Amino acid sequence: MQPFVAKINRFTLTLGVAMAFAAPAIAEDGEYGVLMKTLANPFWGAMSQGVEDGAKEAGVKYFLQAAESDQAAEPQLNLCNTMLERKPVAMITAAINSTNLLPCLKAAQDAGIKVVDLDGNLDQAVLDKEGIKITFRIGSDNVAAGGQGADYLVEKLGKDAKGPVLVIEGLSGNVTGQRRAQGFAARLKELAPGLEVVASLPGDWDRGKAASITNDILTRNPDLVGIFAANDGMALGAVEAVYAAGKGDQVTIIGVDGNSDAVKSIKDGRLNASVAQLPYLVGKQAVENVKKAIAGESITADIAVPTLVLTKDVLDAGKEPMLQYVK
Amino acid sequence: MTHETAQPGLWAWAQRTSVEQLHIRLESFIVLIVLSTVMAVLSPFFLSLSNFLNILLATSTIGVLAIAATYVIGSGGLDLSLGSVMGLSGVAGAYVAVNLGAPSPIGLAACILAGAAAGYVNGQLITRAFVPAFIVTLGMLGLARGLALVISDGRVIYGLPAVMVYVGQGRPLGIPMPVIIFVVTAIVAHCVLAYSKFGRHTMALGDSESAARAAGIRVERHRRVLYTLSGALAGLAGMLFMARINSGDPTAGLNYELTAITAAIIGGTNLFGGRGSILGTMIGALIMGVLQNGLNLLAVQSYYQQMAIGAVLILAVFIDQYQVRKESRV
Repeated sequence: MQPFVAKINRFTLTLGVAMAFAAPAIAEDGEYGVLMKTLANPFWGAMSQGVEDGAKEAGVKYFLQAAESDQAAEPQLNLCNTMLERKPVAMITAAINSTNLLPCLKAAQDAGIKVVDLDGNLDQAVLDKEGIKITFRIGSDNVAAGGQGADYLVEKLGKDAKGPVLVIEGLSGNVTGQRRAQGFAARLKELAPGLEVVASLPGDWDRGKAASITNDILTRNPDLVGIFAANDGMALGAVEAVYAAGKGDQVTIIGVDGNSDAVKSIKDGRLNASVAQLPYLVGKQAVENVKKAIAGESITADIAVPTLVLTKDVLDAGKEPMLQYVK
Repeated sequence: MTHETAQPGLWAWAQRTSVEQLHIRLESFIVLIVLSTVMAVLSPFFLSLSNFLNILLATSTIGVLAIAATYVIGSGGLDLSLGSVMGLSGVAGAYVAVNLGAPSPIGLAACILAGAAAGYVNGQLITRAFVPAFIVTLGMLGLARGLALVISDGRVIYGLPAVMVYVGQGRPLGIPMPVIIFVVTAIVAHCVLAYSKFGRHTMALGDSESAARAAGIRVERHRRVLYTLSGALAGLAGMLFMARINSGDPTAGLNYELTAITAAIIGGTNLFGGRGSILGTMIGALIMGVLQNGLNLLAVQSYYQQMAIGAVLILAVFIDQYQVRKESRV
């Protein structure tokens, strides 16, 4: 008997070590559940910082969890269901796609839990069909963010500028990336018809892939004048490829997010601009508005948090009041 | 650890029964119990019927894939395309039902058939073109995922007919349909592997292919059937997830093949074939399910969950090897 017990002990000991990270959790009354896509990204990091500060100021308890990656659709659904076991009063969710959380959101609604769409990944038409009513939706207007990118490019090159432009999209099928790319392309057509989008390719949010795409297009269009990437990571990949090809002065590169890496690159004079979202503000306002909704106040169904074009001039001047929220 | 002497009584009986008759590793079962106890102590939400069903629901797709992995790995093969085929089949079913307007039964059948077709192609290439299973199924991993993205244009295909949704969201007697389908599949798969000629031949193949050939087993044909079966099971897993979220998601099942293989190995399947049991695999899948669910309830970051599962995998095999080495010394 003894050796067997020793054997099991060794096993459980290791499990104990694996679980030593966990502190016993006790049910809190009136908790908010916050479910994010992933935390492995400064954008979501800033947003959870905003949630934390907002909750502190509002004096509410919350617990925040995230899936292991922004492609783990089913794990996120399972996580969402598990969070419901804790019976929160509200679920603030950033869904990985427009449908993966539907069963969980339905169950939350049936349990009388308020559901909030963080970052606008849910599709209103789908929600209507499923009979899910969300309390409100909060996030940046991604179409407008793409449009601001086009505004900046035209401002820099002039209305009559001519030349090929590359658009690097996000992950195929991701709504956020699609909206940004479409917003950019539509606005560019309107402002400067001479600037032609010669390619619009999915970079899968991946820095390396964006660099490869840039290389390929530079081979085809050596006179490229502009690149719009649907997020900063990809824009920075494009920057490296452009500078490696010795065309740093010829190509204007714009990203979206305003994350810390991009800010650093803009200050160094490499990346030209980033349309900064203010995830910190999104997280903070989400919590504040949930508190209001629970208190019975009526809330706007769609809360758009503004976006802000960061350039070297804007950053060096440091006068823009919104800059404090760029994390 | 001291040298183990033969022990009469209950313990010896339990050991003999578990290993010889149920084909499972007693240790993994005890770990599952201990783990559940620890979680129940740590979290007030763990011990409830709704959470138990929640664990089974979360384990259902991985569980079905792990059944496929047990058969294939037990036969000395490998199927790395499980997760991608799961994604492909969900998209295929949704496409047939939504874009082509086919009735529900055809949509559901399309999931299984798409999976079986991918598995059939794997089997043909492995046995007739003599390309190693690792390479063929790694290629299929990319092929199936790419095809899923092509069919769906990279977007989820939403809005299945009611019967299909019921398969994912219905709750007869309060039990989620995917859980029922998963449990029934597991019971059938266990009986086939443990008690039928087909199951014995599968393990014989993994034990020694030449001996199996000498014994008159039609090795190539059996392998083709196995890979087709593996694909069909991946199709079933795809069907379950598709029905749960009322849409075909081309990214479903990403990296699931490795999780499924992990469940099978924790459950006592030998990576080089010749040994494996579905009951053991189910315990392996449940260990991971309980670990994930418990850590989620405790709001532990998912990074640590991955570490914990990795540690459990290595430990399980270490203990296994330790046993084997000790027995061979006696």
